[in-house]
Amino acid sequence: MLKTAQKLIAVAKISARANLAYPGEVLGRGTFLLVVLYIFLKLWQATYSESGQSKLAGLSLAEMLWYLTITESMWMSAPKLAQQVDEDVRTGSLAVKLIRPLSYPLYCLSANMGERLVRFSFNLALGACIALALVGPIHLRAEALLMLALSVCLAFLLDGLGHLIVGLSAFWLEDTSGLYLIYTRLTMILGGMLIPLDLFPGWLKNLVVYLPFPYLVWGPVHLLSTPQTELAASFLELAIRQLACLVALSALVALLWQRALRRVSAHGG
Amino acid sequence: MFAVHTEDLRKEFSLKKGLFERRTAVAVDNISLTVKEGQAVAFIGPNGAGKSTTIKMLTGILKPSSGKAQVLGLDPWRQRSRLVRQIGAVFGQRSQLWLHLPPKDSFELLAEIYSLEKKSKQYKSRLEMLIERFELAAFLNTPVRKLSLGERMRAEIAASLLHRPRLLLLDEPTIGIDVVARQRLRELLAQWNREEGLTVFLTSHDTGDIEAVADRVILINHGRVIIDDTIDGVRHYGAPKSADTGEPPDMQTLPALEKVLSDLFTAK
Repeated sequence: MLKTAQKLIAVAKISARANLAYPGEVLGRGTFLLVVLYIFLKLWQATYSESGQSKLAGLSLAEMLWYLTITESMWMSAPKLAQQVDEDVRTGSLAVKLIRPLSYPLYCLSANMGERLVRFSFNLALGACIALALVGPIHLRAEALLMLALSVCLAFLLDGLGHLIVGLSAFWLEDTSGLYLIYTRLTMILGGMLIPLDLFPGWLKNLVVYLPFPYLVWGPVHLLSTPQTELAASFLELAIRQLACLVALSALVALLWQRALRRVSAHGG
Repeated sequence: MFAVHTEDLRKEFSLKKGLFERRTAVAVDNISLTVKEGQAVAFIGPNGAGKSTTIKMLTGILKPSSGKAQVLGLDPWRQRSRLVRQIGAVFGQRSQLWLHLPPKDSFELLAEIYSLEKKSKQYKSRLEMLIERFELAAFLNTPVRKLSLGERMRAEIAASLLHRPRLLLLDEPTIGIDVVARQRLRELLAQWNREEGLTVFLTSHDTGDIEAVADRVILINHGRVIIDDTIDGVRHYGAPKSADTGEPPDMQTLPALEKVLSDLFTAK
């Protein structure tokens, strides 16, 4: 168990290091983030002005932009794990990873985690500079930030499992790009990346909390705007829901992988 | 002890034929073979002959449809996690190195994955020996994407030997590599087989690889073993029929291996 953990940490570390090889890409993402956040600012300025309210879903305009900065940073940090797994399956590159004394799904998840944490850190640092320049600082509590960090890690793990499920479906589907599009768009919309869940119609919000999507983005970031008195309870509830999703999705990945191994075919002659 | 032993090893694939129909394709057709530890075997055949499928069954990646396989005394499919610690594999067109990082980093990761004691004398001396023999020192800290194909392949093979495997499976290791680099790789593989007793199981379309590395040739076609002989023995298959007088043949008059294989591959 300890040895497996050491292997997974080593994979995550090398994956993080490999991602630092291209500083130009980081700069490119930063420019994109600036454009996106500026558009969001203008859209939400118009929305706040039309509604005539100073707060929407409990957030001021500045808080809304910070909310979007974090959700966008999380979204843009997602590595292309589903496509990578799909490619491994189709090209036969899977063979190289199957002859190692380390489970392929675990290898993928740890590599994904290493890369994502690096990308997220960069995105967040850049996004924070942009948000500061556009709307200035907002009040953030240290304990909320700590809880955010923990739940973001769980959210990344959950998203990694989601990507793995999409990628592994290449064993059964001719093309996984449709499934990938559905998964990412559901995460974007039902995950609260563009609009906080509190602005959803009541029936929709009541429905989506039973799905994993809100716990990939909205749940963790929502902690920042949760009142101090409710923070601990909200965090606990979120952690329980994330862990429940983690167990369910891990079981699904294990089942898919077990079946997929029997379908591995000899690509490449 | 046998490094590889198979009995009637078979692999069938179910393929789609039209909308609802399916047909069965036989990739490996009841192959029986035995490879002793320390041998260097060229496992050759035309494209689609079943070479890679056999290698993938021997490494436990593919489950055989029927028959038996034992690699280093283990059942590859059922005991894959134990087996992978004792074998190394190089798939010519698939890299195990991290493209954007130097080979050194990939070696360190492999050491972790194989649970090798990085601080031990054994590991350090092994790494030093690999660096020296495969002449890696000059580019050990250069990102893999900046290496020539020959340098990359030397690093690939060194990486697959790091955990001291007893059997090395190579699937087209010299594909796309220039003549000089190819020659160097062949020498290294032959040397490792000779001096370290490493069993080598090689597939290649290059007769130069076969002649330089292997002492035995197993030729398969349509999933079946056609010839299992020494290199000179294989060359006899190309000898003119009239020369078959029972006298020991004159090796000088036998056709080149490339010509013999080309004739055998195209024969129905």
